[in-house]
Parts: sequence; structure tokens; C-alpha cells
Amino acid sequence: MTPPTPPPDEGFKENELASDIDVSQVHGSILRERAEPCDGYEPVPLWLITVFFAIIFWAGLYLAYFSGGFRADVFNPDRVAWAGGGPAVAAGPVDPKVLGKRVFTQNCVVCHQTTGLGVAGQFPPLVGSEWVVGGDWHGDNHLVKILLNGLQGPIQVKGAAYNNAMPPWAQLDDEKISAVLTYIRSEWGNSAPAISADYVKKIREASAAQTEPWTQKALQAIPGEKAPDAAAPATAPAAPEAAPAATPAAV
Amino acid sequence: MNKLPLLFLGVFITFASSWLGLVAYPYLTLGNMQPLPDEDTGGYFPPSQSGLAVAGQRVYAANGCVYCHSQQVRLAPLSTDIAKGLGPRQTVARDYLRAQPVFLGTMRTGPDLTNIGARQPDQNWHHKHLYEPQTVTDWSIMPSFRYLYKMQKIQGQPSADAIQGLAGPHAPAPGFEVVPSDDAKALVAYLISLKRNYPLPESPEPPAN
Amino acid sequence: MNPQSLISSFHPANNPDTLASHERAEIDASTRFPVLLFFASAIFWLLIGSLLGLISAWKMTHPGLFDQMAWLTFGRLRPAHLNTVIYGWASAAGIGVGVWLMARLCRVPLLHSKLLISAAIFWNLGVLVGVMGILAGDSRSIEWLEFPGYATPILFIAYAFIGIWAIIMFRFRRPGHVYVSQWYLFAAFLWFPWLYATANILLVWQPIQGSAQGAVNWWFAHNVLGLWFTPIGLASAYYMIPKVIGRPIHSYYLSILGFWSLALFYSWNGMHHLIGGPFPAWMVSASVVASIMMFIPVVTVAINHHMTMRGHFGALKWSPTLRFTVFGAMTYTVVSLQGSSMAIPSLNTLTHFTDYTIGHAHLGLYGFFSMMMFGAMYYIVPRLTGWEWPSANAIRWHFWLVAVGILLMVVSLSIGGILQGLAQFDPQVSFRSSLDYATPFRWIRGLSGFLLLGGHVVFAALFTLMLLKVGRQKEGPALFAAPVKPEAAPL
Repeated sequence: MTPPTPPPDEGFKENELASDIDVSQVHGSILRERAEPCDGYEPVPLWLITVFFAIIFWAGLYLAYFSGGFRADVFNPDRVAWAGGGPAVAAGPVDPKVLGKRVFTQNCVVCHQTTGLGVAGQFPPLVGSEWVVGGDWHGDNHLVKILLNGLQGPIQVKGAAYNNAMPPWAQLDDEKISAVLTYIRSEWGNSAPAISADYVKKIREASAAQTEPWTQKALQAIPGEKAPDAAAPATAPAAPEAAPAATPAAV
Repeated sequence: MNKLPLLFLGVFITFASSWLGLVAYPYLTLGNMQPLPDEDTGGYFPPSQSGLAVAGQRVYAANGCVYCHSQQVRLAPLSTDIAKGLGPRQTVARDYLRAQPVFLGTMRTGPDLTNIGARQPDQNWHHKHLYEPQTVTDWSIMPSFRYLYKMQKIQGQPSADAIQGLAGPHAPAPGFEVVPSDDAKALVAYLISLKRNYPLPESPEPPAN
Repeated sequence: MNPQSLISSFHPANNPDTLASHERAEIDASTRFPVLLFFASAIFWLLIGSLLGLISAWKMTHPGLFDQMAWLTFGRLRPAHLNTVIYGWASAAGIGVGVWLMARLCRVPLLHSKLLISAAIFWNLGVLVGVMGILAGDSRSIEWLEFPGYATPILFIAYAFIGIWAIIMFRFRRPGHVYVSQWYLFAAFLWFPWLYATANILLVWQPIQGSAQGAVNWWFAHNVLGLWFTPIGLASAYYMIPKVIGRPIHSYYLSILGFWSLALFYSWNGMHHLIGGPFPAWMVSASVVASIMMFIPVVTVAINHHMTMRGHFGALKWSPTLRFTVFGAMTYTVVSLQGSSMAIPSLNTLTHFTDYTIGHAHLGLYGFFSMMMFGAMYYIVPRLTGWEWPSANAIRWHFWLVAVGILLMVVSLSIGGILQGLAQFDPQVSFRSSLDYATPFRWIRGLSGFLLLGGHVVFAALFTLMLLKVGRQKEGPALFAAPVKPEAAPL
């Protein structure tokens, strides 16, 4: 089978080639090959073009609605920053339960755990704890004082003994302390009224002289109070009788 | 399309568009981000890591933890990460400022670890888990990393580092204890540092339902 | 159009851009050593990579397997498997096929083969050092870029030689029509070093801070698939399909549309690996949009290939090259459409973080690219060695083992992945349940790994026999069956 003469072309040294390769060296696999691939020229189907433009239209809409205004600080594709304006960040007061939960998660879970159950023998539980919801001699003022100044030495929580040190959290502002206390008093089945930021402020001023963390004995010497209803104006504190057998308002 | 320069130009420009959008742009905007100061503690968000935790990142990379564990919390309705308690809010670019490399991950063969430091703050738990995961979670398919630990004879007093409460087939015999290597200590320090529960303005917490 | 006029329209004299047999012989002789070197390296790494993948798969169902040694922990074996198959097998095979295709299509004998031989040596060295580095504990844990910093420059040097070679080859090609495969190869050879350099600089040498790393990481990884492997695979399909059946490609215009829409849209897809992640919303949305726009190049290429093949599907009965190539081409369409659907956020909810993604990745790299490379190698190797494949039966075993293997793997991981995703999405369902759903499907995946490894062993044996020219020279090609058309059939 004689190979057909290739078209003359300056770029290809045909004569050299013919002397270099002996036709008998050319393998059967090459001899039986078809021609090198080439192109046909069928037109692009119209339906395909229609579909493409439909997709492009959809793409434009998607980018318009879900790109957060192409801002670098919008991470939520559902937030359409350009429709109606306003900052990308949610404005307005933070839900106190959300704030309280955040403060708790940032500061308290290390010891009291996300479940509020603490660690047996080490960190007391908050769930159903009389220190949190009130009971016996425990008042809301004691709870706020613990947050402000800390607590150390042997204590009894739900009949179990603990002896550890809770650091003071006075660096948190009144709003955060009231939020976190409100949170722990309404979470995990606890049900006790909220504590207002004003009340925390009042207790902070009253405890200004305290420099050391409280001990259980020192707290027991202070009569327990109920915080005023968070929505109602502040009322006079309850009578200073500590009644050990008094049933708590709610457990 | 028979001209080399035209082909080159087209190939260059099409590719350059994505290079600009997905590489250069993040480099310029996200690459210069700074941590936010925290008024309450005087620290920063994200908080700086101890040197041991930084070393722990290297151990995490060397042992390929990222191939089973992700580190990102996503929003609803795309996901239920927040409802499942993986974190209080979506993680955003600033949360990964201290990470090197960033272990976002693309598989959840094991649980997401964004806030593992908040869920499991106890060092001993982590050491027990790394040493023999099935003794802590019996259905786990996580492999054992006991090659990061050393079994040694107790010399007089048990070592302060010794892992407490080990059980299972590789628990130390009486008179022996298991202590973590430096790599294991670094890794656990890193894991405990994984807490993304501080507030960031660009990632507001979703309202409680 | 009667067969006679069709065939005569294909006579070399009527196709000014075709080659005479002695020209083909000279070109093939010039490509012999570099291409066979790349193929041999690729097949070596294929065996190692398959073994690493098999062990990794079984470690997921049996975590106690080999758990005593740091070198064999899952977290190191899995990236070792990934990098071996990507850089060791797939890239080396792709380079070998690409070199041969470039030489044939540029219609000149290979220039500067020493560049390519040096490249092959450096490439193998880089992969070896990189994989050992990962097993030793120096993995960077950046997906698709795990090689430690001391291995990547070696690969980069190897690559620089290949890039230079590609430019010279293209520059000194024989004047005439530039065929579609050449566009894809030229583009692939140019895009890869840009990708690799950018990713290494911004993730390894001068890392950018924060989650921007994730963006660059997945821009890189997805583009290795879309702008390095896909063009080489498509270039091979565009050559092999018309070559084997002896017909022109259906439409030059569809080829153009397919090429440029791939170039424009593919590179924006990367963020779809991170939907919901810590990135500005517009980046993720842009990737979702680009992923859907991929419908355009994928359907275009599918129509082009399908219409070319129409009426000739009977050739799949006898031609190994065509069978592997068309399997790959059809899988390309399926896996790309699957990928586009996975990028839709409501579907991504179910597939993200699950085994479904792993199934998809294997369907693409194996079902499309590796099968395409097998097809090309079955065509090219006889032309380089002057020897025919010794056993059509063995090729048949190879095909069925790997075809069944990959389909089993993908189907099992897809079902398991969806169940896993459903369980992960429901806050009332424990994490444990998502694991329990996935486990039986991981067993099936593990079994499929044996099939794949078996097929690779058969292929490696065949290749070795070809290199050694063992046995007697066969008369005619190794085909699955007698060709339908009596006038001789190419492989």
C-alpha cells in the first residue's frame, strides 16, 4: 500500500522523511488508521441557544437576590442588603435570653457545663439549684452578689458538698449579669422570675465594700431578698426574717 | 481559532476573571481583617491562642483530622447546625484569623469541631478519647491515636500527666500508666481552644425560637 | 450518504490536514520514549494509589485496622491516596496522552524530547517525596495540596519543562487548521501552572489569613479537575471518537461554544464546595450560578460527541479504545450534571459533608478521566511499541472489573450519602444515626475497591507485556469482537 503524497508544505521536510523511515518499519497499527480527526460544520441547534439564554437570565436573577449586595461583610445569602437599605448587621436591642445564653456560653460553661449540671464533686449544678431559683435562706440578692464578688469555701448545693472557688464577674456590665441570671433561672426546667439590670446595679452599689469572694457563712448572715418584678418599679425589700423552713416561691 | 495569540488571550482572560474574583478579591478584603477588641476582658475576638494550641494545629494537620471533622457552623435554612447545638451563630471569616491552615473541612464522618472546646473542656476526656475512642463512644469509627501516647511503668508516684480512667483492650496494666507525648498535649490544647461562641457584629445570633 | 462516498471523503487526499502513514510513524517514533515513560510512571502510581485507597476505605468500616502505626493512620493514608492518584496516576497519564495528541495534531515530530524526559523524572521524584512526606506526618492538610513544602517545587520544575515544551510545540506546529483538541491541551498546559503557583504561594509559602484560605483552596482543587483534567479528557475524546469511527466531529461551532463556555464558567465553581461556609454571600452565590451555567458547555460537548457517534454505537462492541472513551464521555455528562445539581443550595443541604460528595468525586476522576485515559492508552501504546495488545480477553476483564467497580462504588456512596445527609439534617436524629446509615454502603464501597484494584493489576500486566514484547506478534489489533465493517478496523 503506497502512502498518498502529502500536500507540499514548506514546514515539513518531506524528502528527508522519505529516506529516514522505511515503509516496512511502519507498523500495521499505523497503516490501518483512519484519517486524522477533522471538523464538521453542523449549526448550533436553536433550542440549545434558547435554553442557554434562559439559564443566563436565571443566573442574573439569582445573583441579584442572593448576593447580599456584593458586600464583604454579609455572610448570609438570604440577607438582601440593597433592598430597603440599612446596615448589614442587625440593629435593635438584643433579646435578653439570647444575650444571657451567649454570656453563659462564653464564661460559665467551662465549669457549670452547657447542660447546667456542673461536674460532680467539683462544680455545682445550676439545674434545680436553690442558689439559683431561691429556697431556704437563698435570695436573689445573694445570687447577684456571687456573680459580682465570687464564692469560695465549703458550700452545700442540693444536699451535696462542694468546696471550690468561683471567680468574680464584676467586669461584666449590669445588662450582661442580669441577662445571664435571667437565662439560668429560666433554662433547663428552672422557673424563676427575671432579674433586671437596675437590680444588679443596686446590689453592685451595696456590695462596693466587698473585696473578697463570699463564703456561704457570710452570705447566710445577709437576709435574703426577692428581686422586684423586672417589669414593675422597684419596691421595698422583703422583711429580713430568714425562715429556714419557708418554702421557696418556685423550684 | 487558528491563531496562537488569540487563543492565548482568550484562555488568559477567562481564567483571570476567576482569579480576580475568587483569589485576589478575598485576599484584599478578607486577608486584611483584624480581630475585634473585647471591651469586657480586654482581649480580642477571636481570642489569641496559647503557644501550645498553635503547635497543636500542626499535629491536627499532620494527622489529617480535617478529613473526617469539619469546623464550620452554617445558618438555617441551609442547615440545622445551630439547632443541633454546633454553635450559637454562623462562623464567619474573622473566626478563622488565627487558624493556620484553616481547617474548614468537607466531611462529617465525625462531628463538627468548631465549638468542641466549649462542649468538652476537660483535658482528660480528650486524652481518653484520642487514646481509644471506642471506650468513650462505643459506636465511634474514629481510629485510635495511641501512637501519640506512651505506656510507661509507674515510678514511685503516678505522673501528673497520666490519663485517668482508661478502659478497653489497651488500658494500662496495674503498675503502668499512659502519658501523653508533647504532640498529644499540644493537640488537646488546640481542641480545647476551639470555641467560637463570642459575639461578632457580622454574624448576629439568630433569635431564640 | 453511501458508505463508499463517506469513506472516500475520509481519504487522506481529501483531508488536507491529515497525515500520511510514514509521517505518523515518524511522529510516533519521536514521542515513544517520553510518552511511554509517563505511562509507565502513571500505571505504577495507579497501583500504589489503588492500594492506598483500598486500605483507607476498609479503615472506615474497621477503625482498628493497622491502627498501631502513625504512618498508616487514616488521616495520612487518605491524603496519600488522593495525591497519588491525582498527581501520580491521573496527571502523568494525562501528560503522556496530551504529549502524543499534541505531536499528532501539530503534525510535527516531537521537539525537545529531553525536556519531557527530565520532566517525567522530576515529576516522579516530586510525587514520591510528597507521598512519603504525607505518610511521615508533614501533610499540610490542605485538600488536593497536601504535599509538604519540600515536594512541591520539584513538581513545579517538572511542570515548567512541560509548559515550555507545550508552547514550543504549538508555536512550531505545521500551519493549518488548529483542531479542537489542541485548544483544550494548550489551555490545560497553560492553566495548570498558574493554578499550582497561586495555590502554593497563597496557601503554603505566604499563607493568607482567615477563611480566604478556604476560597483559594477550593478554587484550586476544583480547577485542577475542571481546567487540567477535564480539558485533557475532552481533548482525548475529541480525538479518539472521530478517529476510531472515521467520521468528522459533528459541529465546529459547538466545539467553539463548548470550549469557551468551559473556560469562562468552570473556574468560578470552586466555592460550591463551601456553601453555607464563612464567606461573603456573593462568592458562594457566584459559584452556585457558575455551577448551573456549566450546563452549557457540558450539554454542548455531549451533543457534539453524541451526534458524531450516532449510527456508530455498534463500534462499542469491538473497539476497546472506543468503549473506554465513550464510557468516559457519557460519564462526563452525567457527573457534570450531577455536580451542577449538587450546587443548588436546597440539594446541597443533603449532600454536603456526606459520602455523596466522595461518590461524585470518584465518578468524575475515575468514571470520566481515568476511563478516558485507559481508552487513549489502549490506542496509543501499540503505535509506540509496534506490538499489539496480547489478549483481548484480558482487556475485557480490565473493562468489566473497573466499570462494575466504579458503578458499584458510586451508587453505594450516593445512596449512603443521601441517607447520611437526611440524618444529619434532622436535629432530632443523633449523629450516631448518620453513621449507622452510611456504614453498610461503606462496606459495599470497600468491596468495589477490590474490583478496581483487580482491573488495574490486569492493565498493568498487559502494559508490561507490551513493553517487553512478550509472546508472538499478533496479527491485527486486539478487539473484543470482529469489527462490523469488513474494511479493516482501527483499534
